[in-house]
Amino acid sequence: MNDLNVTDYSSYDTLRFFEDENFIQYILHPDEGRKAYWQEVLSRHPDRAVDMDEAENWILMLHAQQVYTPKNSGEPSWQQISERIARHEHITVKYVIPLKRVGKWASAVAAVLMVYFTVAELMQQGKQVVHSRYGELRSITLPDASVATLNGNSQIHYVRDWRSDKPREIWLKGEAAFTVKHVALKNRFQEADSFKVHVNGIELTVLGTKFNIKDRRGQTEISLLEGSLRIEKTGALAFSKIMKPGDVFVYDGKQIQKELKKNAAANQSWTKKELHVDGYTLKDIAEILEDTYGYQVTLNAADLTGRRLSGTIPSGSPEDILFVVEKVFNVKITKNKNQLMITH
Amino acid sequence: MTTEQKAWDEFRYGDERALKFIFDTYYKLLFNYGHKFTPDDHIIEDVIQDLFVKLWVDKERINPTDSVKNYIYKAFRRRLIRKLDYAPIIMAFPATEEKIGFEIELGHDHRMISSERTIKIQHNLANALGKMTPRQREVIHLRYFEEMDFNEIAEVMQLSTKATYKLLYRAIDALKQHLPRFDYLVILYLLDFSRK
Repeated sequence: MNDLNVTDYSSYDTLRFFEDENFIQYILHPDEGRKAYWQEVLSRHPDRAVDMDEAENWILMLHAQQVYTPKNSGEPSWQQISERIARHEHITVKYVIPLKRVGKWASAVAAVLMVYFTVAELMQQGKQVVHSRYGELRSITLPDASVATLNGNSQIHYVRDWRSDKPREIWLKGEAAFTVKHVALKNRFQEADSFKVHVNGIELTVLGTKFNIKDRRGQTEISLLEGSLRIEKTGALAFSKIMKPGDVFVYDGKQIQKELKKNAAANQSWTKKELHVDGYTLKDIAEILEDTYGYQVTLNAADLTGRRLSGTIPSGSPEDILFVVEKVFNVKITKNKNQLMITH
Repeated sequence: MTTEQKAWDEFRYGDERALKFIFDTYYKLLFNYGHKFTPDDHIIEDVIQDLFVKLWVDKERINPTDSVKNYIYKAFRRRLIRKLDYAPIIMAFPATEEKIGFEIELGHDHRMISSERTIKIQHNLANALGKMTPRQREVIHLRYFEEMDFNEIAEVMQLSTKATYKLLYRAIDALKQHLPRFDYLVILYLLDFSRK
């Protein structure tokens, strides 16, 4: 990861820019965040302009190579493949394995599996709590091989005393991305196959899925990337919603609404140490700095709070975020321990 | 799971339309990649057809994959090189692989300014690329045209990640050696000037 204050750009020549992963990304996929970063590098090292320009030209020339197209379209080619496939299917002989042998193997496998599951279940019992510090990303593999990644200042807990006919349950505070394993064993009760997340008084039921939950300031944002997910609340103001991949829902403690401005995949970009900030306002970013990185932010630029950003910010360190904010919004950020003051 | 991975799984379970989808996605791209190795369209066409028939025949033994592109490129490259390599199969593979060419033709992006300087840069780069070995050119192509990372390049070229780093490092080194050093010339000129 490049860092303005650590990477020594004054010693960069054409070749170093040419090799630099972030520079390549900036040339081939420029966006507001990357542009701001490299313009700052240039303004700090104006004597590198010629080398930067040369490296840019090289990357563009290599990337813009003309694509060679064959005379025929793929269609006649596929015709021939399809014919050869048909011929192959015709001559394939199907072997039937004697049923007896299958039975023998299956019982051996079943015995091994049974021992394995019994031992695995007995190994981990009791309440497990995992939490992450400010600014820390933490990945946890849950007992069922599902993976939860915690963003900074977040916590999950789960109880490991369940029998196999109980669903898997997790309690979350803060922000986390989940990849849930779908263990479809037909002889289990149906409920046992589901995975439940409790957050902010609502309950999510999940079937083999990838999703992100952000629970900050009493507001819960749920983004589904794959699979299917049901959001439920019982008691007063009960509701039940089914989410489709790509959906983003926001629950404010009272009611739930579909969020149209945000993108489900972008809401999980933090797991790759990046922030896709399309549609974010300065206020949104200030809240992230407080919730995830532990700063106290004072915002003295009322006219800017509503302006929206676009692009990608590297979020490996909070300094990267601060720097891009300064550039894009043209503000000054004064830092005093964990106090941040944003002014014109 | 991406659309491609879904198609991959459906193909593995015997759906011919899914294989057709993968074929349609990669036919032109493979042709372009193959053309860098050889100008002979017939050979490229044969290799692509053989590859897809073989995929179908082996579908029950083929595993799920994280990257369909990587799998296809790797299998295509292996078959193409075997075909271009006329040496007997018993001979060591990498030694003969070195001899198989790889051509890069630099292109023009709309963001580039047409100036004498740009033409000069292009000329120098083409010249330096010409001095590289074919495998060094290939690693440059996969990195900057196909935008693959080191692990992906290593998989496609069947090298260790370490060997891939080394190959790219050597390619960069070749660039360094074969580019005219303007700076040095300027310094020499200035030194000469001050003496007078």
